Amino acid sequence: MELVILVVISLVMIAAAIMAIYSKNLISAIISAGVVSLLASIIYLLLAAPDVAMTEAAIGSGLTTVVFLYALNKMRKSGKDG
Amino acid sequence: MTDIIYAIATYIALAAMVLAFLRFILGPKAVDRVVALDSLTIISLSLIVCIACMSGRTIYIDIALVYGLISFVGIVAIARYLERGV
Repeated sequence: MELVILVVISLVMIAAAIMAIYSKNLISAIISAGVVSLLASIIYLLLAAPDVAMTEAAIGSGLTTVVFLYALNKMRKSGKDG
Repeated sequence: MTDIIYAIATYIALAAMVLAFLRFILGPKAVDRVVALDSLTIISLSLIVCIACMSGRTIYIDIALVYGLISFVGIVAIARYLERGV
């Protein structure tokens, strides 16, 4: 049972990571990185580490996405790239 | 009996996760990807609750709580950015 969950989540996670690297649109890359950390949280939970899963959900999925979007907004306002 | 029900629910959640991720990959615009991310969040939250019920540990429910709160903030931030910038 746990093996099936691990395999499916790992495959989805690898696909999201590849998409985060090769995507041309920066918004899509940021959202893909959010998906990777969102699924890593479930894997930490399956490996019986609930505190690590809580930290990953708070920092990886929430804070990193917001900080990346803030940086992208700054870049777009200054007219450099994005 | 309940183990079978939990197993069926977990398989349905996994299938839904694969389908939502297909929309995430295929989505032509960023808005489609944001909606797919939101549905992925809800699906993984239900998956966490299924794991908590199967393993019988109540601490896992708290993680589902934190997960829902934080991902809501993330989705709101992305939507606000798409509207007019953070």
